[in-house]
Amino acid sequence: MANRIVVDPITRIEGHLRVEAVVENGVITDAYSAGTMVRGFEKILKGRDPRDAWAFTERACGVCTTVHALASVRCVEDALNITVPQNAELIRNLMFCTQYVQDHVVHFYHLHALDWVDVVSVLKADPKKTSALAESISSWPKSSPKYFAELQTRLKTFVESGQLGIFANGYWGHPAYKLPPEVNLLAVAHYLEALEWQKEIVKIHAIFGGKNPHPNYLVGGVPCSLNAEEVNAVNMERLNHVGSLIKQAKEFVEQVYIPDLMAIASFYKEWAGYGGGLKNYLAYGDLPTRGYGQPDYFKFARGAILDRNLNEVHPVNGRDAEEIKEYIAHSWYRYAGGDNLGLHPFEGETEFNFTGPNPPYEQLNVEGKYSWLKTPRWKEHPMEVGPLARLLVSYAAGRTDVKQVVNDALKQLNVPVDALFSTLGRTAARGLETLLVVHWMQGFYDDLIAQMKTGHTSTFTREKWEPSTWPASAEGVGLTEAPRGALAHWIRIKEGKIDNYQLVVPSTWNASPRDGNGQRSAYEASLIGTKMAHPDQPLEILRTIHSFDPCIACAVHLYDPQGKHLHQVKFY
Amino acid sequence: MLVLGIGNVLMGDEGIGVHVVQRLEQLPLPENVRCLDGGTGSFLLLESMQLASRIILIDATIDGKRPGTVTRLTPQFSSDYPVTLTAHDIGLKDLLDAAYLTSGALAVTLFAVSIEPPSGIGMELSPAITNTIPLIAEMIMEELACAAVRA
Repeated sequence: MANRIVVDPITRIEGHLRVEAVVENGVITDAYSAGTMVRGFEKILKGRDPRDAWAFTERACGVCTTVHALASVRCVEDALNITVPQNAELIRNLMFCTQYVQDHVVHFYHLHALDWVDVVSVLKADPKKTSALAESISSWPKSSPKYFAELQTRLKTFVESGQLGIFANGYWGHPAYKLPPEVNLLAVAHYLEALEWQKEIVKIHAIFGGKNPHPNYLVGGVPCSLNAEEVNAVNMERLNHVGSLIKQAKEFVEQVYIPDLMAIASFYKEWAGYGGGLKNYLAYGDLPTRGYGQPDYFKFARGAILDRNLNEVHPVNGRDAEEIKEYIAHSWYRYAGGDNLGLHPFEGETEFNFTGPNPPYEQLNVEGKYSWLKTPRWKEHPMEVGPLARLLVSYAAGRTDVKQVVNDALKQLNVPVDALFSTLGRTAARGLETLLVVHWMQGFYDDLIAQMKTGHTSTFTREKWEPSTWPASAEGVGLTEAPRGALAHWIRIKEGKIDNYQLVVPSTWNASPRDGNGQRSAYEASLIGTKMAHPDQPLEILRTIHSFDPCIACAVHLYDPQGKHLHQVKFY
Repeated sequence: MLVLGIGNVLMGDEGIGVHVVQRLEQLPLPENVRCLDGGTGSFLLLESMQLASRIILIDATIDGKRPGTVTRLTPQFSSDYPVTLTAHDIGLKDLLDAAYLTSGALAVTLFAVSIEPPSGIGMELSPAITNTIPLIAEMIMEELACAAVRA
C-alpha cells in the first residue's frame, strides 16, 4: 500500500521547503519538492542604479550573503565590460574561500551531522576510548580522556534540561544511526569546537569588506585600500591576521573536519548506494586566476556532465538563449506567452499565479502547480548543482589537484568512483572541496602579499564608474558558485538604470518541481529507491535532502509561515 | 551591551528589527552600547553575542496579535521565544542555542513586534509598523538609561 509522507519544513536554517514522498512497502517510489515562499527581486531592483544592486541581493539570504554580492557586481561588470585589478580578484577570492570554509564546516557539524550522529548516545561513550580513537585519526590536540569526560558531563546537563533544540529535536535511537557512542562523542565535541572556530574565520570578511554580516562589495573592484603602513587601510597588521586565520582554517579542516568526515563515512558506506538521483551535473566554476573572462583558468572548472560520463565536459554559456531556461509548468507563475514556454533569464518574467491550497492543508496537488520555485533546465536537461557537481566537473576536466584529493579519499574508504554518485558522495565532496579551498586560499594570500611587496596596491578601476561612460543599453551575466551550487545573476541596463534583473540560485536547480515533460529535479530524483526503517520518522529523507545543503530563503521569499513549523512533526 | 536588530529589510515589516537599529544609531547612546544590524541572524553573530554583557534583541513575530503590538520578553532558552518568529527564526534560535552551549545563559531582553505574515518581497513598511519605530527606540533608550543607573 502506498502512502504519502510529508516533511515540512526540512531546512535546519533559513527558509521553507516541503517534501512529500510516496512510500510503498518501506521504499520511496516518488517524491515532490515544494518551496513555500515567493520571490520577486526584480520588482525591488527595477529602476535602481546597477552599482547598488549588490547591496540588495546580498540580503537575499543571511547565510550566503557574500556570494550574492559577488554575482551582482560581476553581472554589472560583465555588462559594462569592466575588468577588475588583480588585487581585487585576489581579495574577492579570499572572501569567497572564507565563505566556503565557514559555510561547509557549519553545514557538516551543525546542519547535517545530526542526521548521522546520535547525540543522546554520547552519554554512553567511554571517554578513554574516544580519546584513543581521536588520537588514532588526527593530531588535533584536544583529545585527552579528561577533555572528553568533562564534555560528557556538560552534555548530560544540556540533554537533561530538555531546552536545547539540538538535543530535543531528533530521532535519537533510530535504527539508522550506526555510529558507536565513542564516535558520536567525538563528533559532538567537534560540533561545539566548530562553533567557536567558525566565528574566527569570518573575520576575514570584516577585514576586507568593512563589516560582517553583509560585507561591502564594489563594482570595479573591492572597497578597501591596501597600504602596508596606513592605519585605516588593509595594512600589514591586518594582513598578518588574515594569514594566521588561514593557517588556523587549514589546521581545523585537516585535523578535525576531514578525519571526522572519513571516520563517520566509514560506518555509512551503504549510503554510497542511495541518493544519487540525477545523472547530470552543472558547475559555472569560480576562483579566477587570470580574470573572470577566462574560465579555463578558474580553480573550479566550468562545464556540464551528462549521464555521469566523466570522459566529457560540455561547455556552458550563461548568455546563450538556448542553454539555460526557466519553466513554470508546476510553478505558481504565469508567462505572457503561455505556461509551457521556457524563458532565458534575460527574458525572465515573474508574474505570480497562485493556484494552490490555503494552509493548513494535507497534501499539495502535484498534478498541477505545486511550488514557488521555477524549474531551470540546461539544454532541457535537469541538472544537479553543488559541491558534488563542482568536484565532478573539475575531476572530469582533468584538474590534477582535484583528482588527487578525490582519488585519495576513494582509496581511503576503499570504494569505487561510482560511490560519488550518492548521498554519501555529496557529503564527502563538500569536505574534499573544503580541503582544496583552504590550500588555494593560502595561494591567493601569498600572491596578494607578493603584490604588496612589489608596490602593486590598486584595488579598484574607476574607468567605467560614471554612468555617462556607459552604453544606452547593456546586458550581463554574473556566474559564481555559492557553497550550495551554481549561482547566477542576469542584468539588463537601460539608460543607466536596471531594466530587468533575474537570479537563478542553486536551490532552484536542486529543489524545483518537475518540468512539463515530467523530468524530476535533483531533490525529487534523489529520494527514489530509498529504504525507510520507520516512515513516520523519515531520517533517511533528511539525510539525502540535507546532503544538498538546502537553503530556500535565497531561492524564494516568504509565502506563508503561519504555523508551518508547528506542522505535525517538528523538523529543522 | 549589544542592541541587535534581526530581520530582512527586503521583506517589508519583517525587517523591523533592522529599522529600529538604524534609528537608534542616529541617537546619542551610552558609550558601552553597540548597535548591530544582524540581518537574518546566522552563526555569524555568535561572537558579538558572547562578548555582550547584556543583549537587547529586536525582532518581528507572527503571533496573531494586532500588528504593531510590541511585547517585551526576557527569554532564557530558544524554546521560550515566540514560536512564529518569521523566516529567520530557525537561524536565530540555532544561534541562541549555540550561544547557550558555548557561553551559558545570556541576559537577553527581546522586543518582539507583531506583524502580519509578509505577502511578498518589498522594502516598504506598513503604517502600523512604521509607527512602532520611535516607540521601540524610546523603550530601548529607557532600558539603557536604567542599566546605566544600575551600573
